[in-house]
Amino acid sequence: MITFFYQTRLQSYLALNDISRGLNKLTVMKDKARKEAIDYLVNVGKASNDPTQRVDQFLDYVTIMPVDIDPAGLVGKIDHVVTTNNDRVRAEVGALLSQNNPVTVSISENLLEVATSLNQIHKIVRHFYLLGKKTNSYFTLIQLQMLMPMIIQEADALLNAVDSFKMGQPVGDGVGPVVVSRFMAGKEKRVVAKDTVMAITEYKGRKLYVLKADGPMAYVGQPGVAIKKVIEEMGAKPSAIIMIDAALKLEGEKTGEIAEGVGAAIGGIGVEKFQIEEAATKAKVPLYAILVKQSILEAITVMRKEIAEAADKVTQVLNRVIEEKTKEGDEVLVAGIGNTLGVAQ
Amino acid sequence: MSSVPGTDKKTKLLVYTIEECPVCGQKTKRAFAVGDYVTKEAAKCSKCSNPTRVSLVYAEGSKPSR
Repeated sequence: MITFFYQTRLQSYLALNDISRGLNKLTVMKDKARKEAIDYLVNVGKASNDPTQRVDQFLDYVTIMPVDIDPAGLVGKIDHVVTTNNDRVRAEVGALLSQNNPVTVSISENLLEVATSLNQIHKIVRHFYLLGKKTNSYFTLIQLQMLMPMIIQEADALLNAVDSFKMGQPVGDGVGPVVVSRFMAGKEKRVVAKDTVMAITEYKGRKLYVLKADGPMAYVGQPGVAIKKVIEEMGAKPSAIIMIDAALKLEGEKTGEIAEGVGAAIGGIGVEKFQIEEAATKAKVPLYAILVKQSILEAITVMRKEIAEAADKVTQVLNRVIEEKTKEGDEVLVAGIGNTLGVAQ
Repeated sequence: MSSVPGTDKKTKLLVYTIEECPVCGQKTKRAFAVGDYVTKEAAKCSKCSNPTRVSLVYAEGSKPSR
């Protein structure tokens, strides 16, 4: 009888306990990520002063997205805000360190981003936990309880990424740049956009424009700007744009599986994707995608053997796509999308 | 050698660097060292003495000893 009347109260109590345990885990994770970032800045970056206070300010740093009630020109505004944010982060990290090694600066940026993300996740979960507790809202608590395993999984992936970043190891997301770097090795490289390099090479009578973010720094570059520039300013007339990227696998799919398709293979906030789609549509160039399946954990931690081995298969697929979709004398644009940490060119 | 926890948390991942000779294709696998990156010039090839390059850096699982 008592259970019948107090069932929801009992369930709320159990949910609160569950969430509280998850919240404690998140607290430990975000503190660890913060400490790792500070240690890296001090020990590797040789920060001239104690960076603790600056890092703590950094963790609460916000990026205010533009208003979207009038969507015309919204992508340009988002691009402007995000670029401003990225430039500021790099300038501030650079000012903290007493050296300007680009690899160290880029790793510091990534470590701070991880710490910021974990701090943000912790804050949001804590907010709904306290709100549910305060208002005794059964549905708020139950929803949060159901989401907790996925939130913890994502937070765990972020924390694991710290080790790979600190060591400068290529991550699963870097499989696209690994493939493209093979075409760029030994060729003259030029900077075509911020943190993005391009080389011109040849494959079976086709002129290839190959581009990736500038490695071995932990950069993702600006492939959207780069592709637009190659087509609109450098006068390239590609018959195809082929993009190679990591893609999140669904549960049950194998790591390292390759999928082919059409469209702009690029994640992120959407600005780069928009720019690539716009440039391709304007020039009427077909977009082809080659994707390597992996989980979120595998994408942001050190590259697994299955993904590295997929790079060889992707090279074969890329060669086949070039041969099938273009003919001798054509120009082809190949872009390796992803974080290029530990992958030079 | 650096190691990171695997997906299932029971296996540990060990990180390796693969050096490949661009001339004879000989591949050498060794433990990852900080500073290694793909395309970095590496040691001389044990077969033909030409300079090798780092072609891959990856992690693979090793079962923990009981």
